[in-house]
Amino acid sequence: MEAKTMKQPALTKKEKAPRKKMTREKRIRYFKDNSPYLLMILPAVLIVFLFNYLPIYGVLIAFQDFMPGDKILSDSTIWVGFQNFERFFSDPQFWPLMKNTFLICIIGFVIGFPLPIIVSLMLNAMKGKKTAKVLQTIFNGPHFISLVVLVGMLTLFFGRYGLVNNIAAHFGGERYSYFLESKAFRPMYILSSNWQDFGWSAIIYIAALSNVDPQQHEAAILDGATRFQRVMHVDLPAIMPMVSVMLIMSIGGLMGVGYEKALLMQTDGNLAVSELISTYVYKRGLTGVPDQAYATAIGLFNSIINVVLLIIANTTSKKFSENSLW
Amino acid sequence: MSEVVLKGLKKVYDNKVTAVHDVNLEIKDKEFIVLVGPSGCGKSTTLRMVAGLEEISDGELFIDGKLVNDVPPKDRDIAMVFQNYALYPHKTVYDNLAFALKLRKEPKDVIDKKVREVAEILDITQYLKRKPKALSGGQRQRVAIGRAMVRDPKVFLMDEPLSNLDAKLRNQMRAEIIKLRSRINTTFMYVTHDQTEAMTLGDRIVIMKDGYVNQIGTPQEVFNRPVNLFVAGFIGMPVMNFFDHCKLLLEDGVYYAEIRGVKFKLGDFQQKALKQNNAQPCDIVAGIRPQHVTVGEGELSAKIEVSEMMGSEYNIHARSGDDEVVMLIPTVDLTTDVSMGKTINFTTRPHLIQLFDRETGNNLIWYDAESATNNAPVCKRYDF
Repeated sequence: MEAKTMKQPALTKKEKAPRKKMTREKRIRYFKDNSPYLLMILPAVLIVFLFNYLPIYGVLIAFQDFMPGDKILSDSTIWVGFQNFERFFSDPQFWPLMKNTFLICIIGFVIGFPLPIIVSLMLNAMKGKKTAKVLQTIFNGPHFISLVVLVGMLTLFFGRYGLVNNIAAHFGGERYSYFLESKAFRPMYILSSNWQDFGWSAIIYIAALSNVDPQQHEAAILDGATRFQRVMHVDLPAIMPMVSVMLIMSIGGLMGVGYEKALLMQTDGNLAVSELISTYVYKRGLTGVPDQAYATAIGLFNSIINVVLLIIANTTSKKFSENSLW
Repeated sequence: MSEVVLKGLKKVYDNKVTAVHDVNLEIKDKEFIVLVGPSGCGKSTTLRMVAGLEEISDGELFIDGKLVNDVPPKDRDIAMVFQNYALYPHKTVYDNLAFALKLRKEPKDVIDKKVREVAEILDITQYLKRKPKALSGGQRQRVAIGRAMVRDPKVFLMDEPLSNLDAKLRNQMRAEIIKLRSRINTTFMYVTHDQTEAMTLGDRIVIMKDGYVNQIGTPQEVFNRPVNLFVAGFIGMPVMNFFDHCKLLLEDGVYYAEIRGVKFKLGDFQQKALKQNNAQPCDIVAGIRPQHVTVGEGELSAKIEVSEMMGSEYNIHARSGDDEVVMLIPTVDLTTDVSMGKTINFTTRPHLIQLFDRETGNNLIWYDAESATNNAPVCKRYDF
């Protein structure tokens, strides 16, 4: 019986034979055999090294009493240990900054993460494939609008004399200064970000869905599954590995919200909620009397939170599913 | 009762390509019917129309006496086994088997009983907790069959279920399907491009080409009485030898086949059949099966190009004029030197020669010109 020739389960780490070290000749042959591929990835490696790894050297100033114009490493460098971090933790802005950044990120994540998944599943389930493609193109459009134009559009729509207020005034309502109100900042910021990116983010899931074997859908149809059940039992599980990876990456970058849009939308009226870690770093490090050591310490602290979140998300995903980044 | 009747079934795609032309077929209750033909012949499309996965462009489909053209697949009481197994990769074997029953909202204990019964029959009980990726090809195929079995369908559809398996496993699974068929005793529709599968599995075989049915018959019938050149060439392994530019001669009321200048007096049955058909002397293509060739005698000659010793028989590829001749000679009968490069004489028993009209390609004896329609040639029956 064929059943007796069953596939053996994968070996555990202990059972695996120890990997032999490559001999010098083998290593040379390996590089020779793979030289075209290694050459192809060389530019990417160089760019990542130059722009992502080399600047890490700059974080040293977070531990120094650094003034603009000083060399990062010289005989006159004054090392202050964790003083800049302590200053930030005792800064009256610390908790408001943490709260603002965390809320913007977490609400944005809760709304923004499932949105592209839902959109991709809906587009994939549509009968009219041409309509689905047209919709997908329309959804991708906002991604190509620059942040400055986007905030300009928000001003046109929600400014005191913008479209929304004009309509309200036409019907006898009062004009409302959305940009001066703290309450309006987060919804405007989060919803406009999600509007801009949901179509673009859906591409990766649409690509994953295109790999689903159509026969699985046919089998489900014969099994009596409705369209919704097919989405839940065939499509969604098929993109779950991709969802896991995207989830880990999103959580890893959760606190990494950029400063540009917040700065563009910032007014004295909404400063209490629109001041984020990133905008604060920008202001302290590059405007007024620059305090670059302090700004770097805050930035580094923010990055450490992201790394910790990434490790937690990856470990959790590894434990509860078969998907992880490493 | 689970008869399936296809009446003038036709499939035209949106781009106006007609994939299936006017298929008429009556599948009896508990019959195992095999649709066979080369790629693109419309066999899978026909099966998918029966499954409800393709819309029927024209014609009528009856299952168990009910017209089901507009009945959704789930309500047709059919189950299908797919070429790529189509198992749900994230579900365990148990959940794969139970899925259709869960959707039907059957009680848990009933689902469990049915799943375990089927798993027992297919010998996959030990794999119920595994996911499909942890199974071999053969085991996956069993699960796919099991998934169809748990539904206890009226009609079992199989779309090239063995084509993803290697040759050894395919043979094993073929035998398993034969056993399975005797156990579950329902109506089967099986699609394959492999004529060996068709011959070994089917009660009847439907041979299709370019969307048309070419012949419907038992394995023996399509092998011994092919209605045209296509069927003759498609059924049988190795493929039938065709000798072009031959003649059907009628001398003093006796029919002869002239192959490469050699006259063969045809057998009694052929004489009677040709007389009944009022066959006139004409150009023909003569067909001789490799198994029906005898070497070392006769006036036909060929030069051996390849000689393969297969154990119990020799598979000889030779050239006779413009025609390639394949001969399958049992080793025990062989007294002639059949090494490569040798020229050998060969002959055949005249009553085994198939005679095809050179113009139409139809078999002069077996093609029923009276009852055949353009879309489905019929094999002629004789009383003698």
